[in-house]
Amino acid sequence: MATVRISLTVNGKPVVSDVEPRWPLVEFLREHLGLTGTHVGCDTSQCGACTVHVDGVALRSCTLFAVQADGCDVKTIESVSAGNELHPMQAAFHQHHALQCGFCTPGMIMSALDLVRREGYELSEETIRQNLEGNICRCTGYYNIIKAIGAGAKAMRNASAG
Amino acid sequence: MYVGKPLPRPEDFRFLTGRGKYVDDIKLPRCASAGFLRSPHAHARILRLDASRALKRPGVIRIVTAQDWAKAGHGKLVCVHPMPSSDGQPMREVLRPAFAAEEVHHVGDVLAAVVAETRHQVLDALDAIEVEYEPLPTLSVTARALDDGAPVVHEQLGSNLISEILRGDPSLAKQAFARAAHVTALTLDSNRLAGNPLEPRCYLASYEPETDHCTLWATTQVPHMLRRWICKYALNIPEHKLRVIAPDVGGGFGNKVNFHVEVSSIVWMSRELGRPVKWTATRSETLQSDTQARDHATEARMAFAVDGKILALQVDTIACLGGYLSNFAPSIPGNSYPQTITGLYTTPALDLRVRTVYTNTVPIDAYRGSGRPEATWVNERLLENAAREMGIDVVEIRRRNLLQSSDFPYKTPVGRVYDCGNPPALLNRLVEMAKYKELRQEQAQLRKEGKLMGIGIAAFLDKSGTGPSRQLSTRGGLHGGFESATIRVHSDGKVTVLSGSHSHGQGHSITFSQIAADRLGLPIEDIAVVQGDTDRVPYGNGTWGSRSASVGGTAIYRASETVLAKARRLAAHLLECNPDDLDYENTLFFVKGTNRKLSFAEVADAAYHGASYPSDPGFEPGLECTIFYDPPDLNDPQAMHLAVVLVDERIGRVRIREYYTVDDCGTMINPMIIEGQVQGGLGQGIGQAMMEHVIYDPDTGQLLTGTFMDYAMPRASDMPPLQSDYLCVPAPSNPLGVKGGSETGTIGPPAAIGNAVVDALWHLGVRSIELPITPYSVWRAIASASAGEA
Repeated sequence: MATVRISLTVNGKPVVSDVEPRWPLVEFLREHLGLTGTHVGCDTSQCGACTVHVDGVALRSCTLFAVQADGCDVKTIESVSAGNELHPMQAAFHQHHALQCGFCTPGMIMSALDLVRREGYELSEETIRQNLEGNICRCTGYYNIIKAIGAGAKAMRNASAG
Repeated sequence: MYVGKPLPRPEDFRFLTGRGKYVDDIKLPRCASAGFLRSPHAHARILRLDASRALKRPGVIRIVTAQDWAKAGHGKLVCVHPMPSSDGQPMREVLRPAFAAEEVHHVGDVLAAVVAETRHQVLDALDAIEVEYEPLPTLSVTARALDDGAPVVHEQLGSNLISEILRGDPSLAKQAFARAAHVTALTLDSNRLAGNPLEPRCYLASYEPETDHCTLWATTQVPHMLRRWICKYALNIPEHKLRVIAPDVGGGFGNKVNFHVEVSSIVWMSRELGRPVKWTATRSETLQSDTQARDHATEARMAFAVDGKILALQVDTIACLGGYLSNFAPSIPGNSYPQTITGLYTTPALDLRVRTVYTNTVPIDAYRGSGRPEATWVNERLLENAAREMGIDVVEIRRRNLLQSSDFPYKTPVGRVYDCGNPPALLNRLVEMAKYKELRQEQAQLRKEGKLMGIGIAAFLDKSGTGPSRQLSTRGGLHGGFESATIRVHSDGKVTVLSGSHSHGQGHSITFSQIAADRLGLPIEDIAVVQGDTDRVPYGNGTWGSRSASVGGTAIYRASETVLAKARRLAAHLLECNPDDLDYENTLFFVKGTNRKLSFAEVADAAYHGASYPSDPGFEPGLECTIFYDPPDLNDPQAMHLAVVLVDERIGRVRIREYYTVDDCGTMINPMIIEGQVQGGLGQGIGQAMMEHVIYDPDTGQLLTGTFMDYAMPRASDMPPLQSDYLCVPAPSNPLGVKGGSETGTIGPPAAIGNAVVDALWHLGVRSIELPITPYSVWRAIASASAGEA
């Protein structure tokens, strides 16, 4: 199949690549850039395991074609921590046991960071619950995820103030 | 002491940073891609299958079908847990085929496998395979499976019956019903579920012709069992030529125990082609190929004395096992279900009949809870309806019927012996935590305002810690119930624990480290846990049935003790004293009353130096122990749940306002992990209660819930406010005192929430509610009650 050349930024680095028009962005990230932290859980935009940031906004990379990301700034879970230092949101997930099998976790973190961007550092439980509509976790019952996101948001404020 | 502390998990770091290694994350050079052609029909004859056009598509390497499987001399996908009929007749067994040959028996049945250079080439080739079907009459409704004239799934059997299990004493039950002051009868069907671990199944096989050795990376909970099944039953290859690795696995819930149809073909193709082959399921594929769960049609009655004491339980269940027998399937309705059906009550008489049947649906098998949610739904719905009919409070009727702690060990009417427990204490704590009396007052007040509030309880037990191996074999079981552990002390005194269990979210690494660190008297940082690799870990039976802590954990406990005893003996030799003269504290061996000492690390160094060690017969250098621990008994975790619901009568919507749980899972090694298991189980149990339902078209058997857009699962906003507590009666059968702690969340919610909804609607004449309790289910219950059909 014919390919299309795309240029984009992925985790701060410029990428130029020839892609088939039918490749979802997640396939490009996982199979061609080796960024396997972004997962595919459902193929139909329901589970949110494939959530990445495109131009600063959380999007499903399973239903976005790679060609649609041409010219965009894409950030994946691999860009969140600084080396071995966990981001405050990641640290909060660890402290609150907000992950079990870990498969939904990258998508949860990317959605949580987008939530903080949109709603700020003080997040009510209700706000968190409503805004997690697009992310399925099959392991935790969400209780600890909700706690972790609230605590992670607060920790982000402290980190940015510090 | 580390046991009892809520220590966080070391594996979190890789998951949080996107560095987990799930099977699909492993990329090998020259890896080919595989895919499977699946039946769009629930029941059809295959008239013609022509892959010649597909073979010519770009990149296609191989296409195989049932003919090729037979030509290769391959065997079958085994059923390892058969349940013969109670009259001694064997099960009428039709196993899942790797490839359907003449007929397909469910939507998603596999007809062919395609291997090509890329995934997209596989998909294109699958589209180009031509198949001509002759559709046959289809059965997809469990309750109709044994009706006269029902379509027969496997014509050669003459009917859909697989086996008939009878338990209890029908004549005793009959007498009890005859003298009963009150009898409650209900239809209590259990909805069919899809387990849906979030990581779809994936297999990557890499065969090296030069060594005749194959490595399989698999999404499995049971790497050794999977290796055995593939080698012994399916492909007839020597076990030492296949290494199975279960790396990070994204949830299992029982789904990834079962011997699924695709895995053997991936190993076969890699061996044929001499290169790596990978298959990753799409979610649409998992929903038509991963084993599904529950799906019972049940009529049940409970008989009571005038004081509300249970006299007898009669249950007649048709349990669907799908289009073929999956490998653990018969034991779920045939074993787990009967063993827990009388729950925590002193039910003196039982008359239980379970008939397992085929229908044209995806095979049923293990899924978290396995038989206990179905049993609890029956026992607890009958009890609460009876209480209301007899004018007895639902807490009071339980007090009159609950097993007392002095009743344990308690032999149930099916012959099973429950080990220990204190059910009245669980109930007291539940009622106190939920402020039950105030809830009833509030309910009455709200009723006056026209608001419908309901309170429902579920009291039940789990059945955990399978083995013992001998007991499993009495029914013809083809697997053991032991678990392996190796404690390997390195020459610097650091320790690797190799466990035959497998963690796919349960946090074994920290839990097992806590056990080993305590027994060895070492800092927890000195312990690392390895699991999920048949070339590194001795044979284990893997993780399912809440067995890892009680069986796998005890194996680690025992092996640690043996290693420490050897270290002590060696230390005594080196310090020239008697082992009894040594104290061991803070990783140091002291000669009592002196300042002569050696550290654990120094003893380990000496063990691997081999320059000096005791001349005791059998004493060897090295510091390592492997054991295969077979538990003497199962264990019986118990729990109670209370749900408070608000029902909007006009639109049938149910809101769970509060939810309470009290668990007795014995000793809690890591309370943080246990709490996570209870909460996660509730996510799935509340899913079964409120929304989850695999639906097939009743006429065509077409799968209507084929994606996550159609199969509803709880989201964050669906989970109610939760309050949990834990009481501990240590299990007598293992030195840790642990019981299973990960399935109660899936067991209680259908019954607790169902009871609460019926409680809210009782005054409207509602006596029955169908699972899942969607607005439509509630609306139908109200409508049929007001039409006088309840």
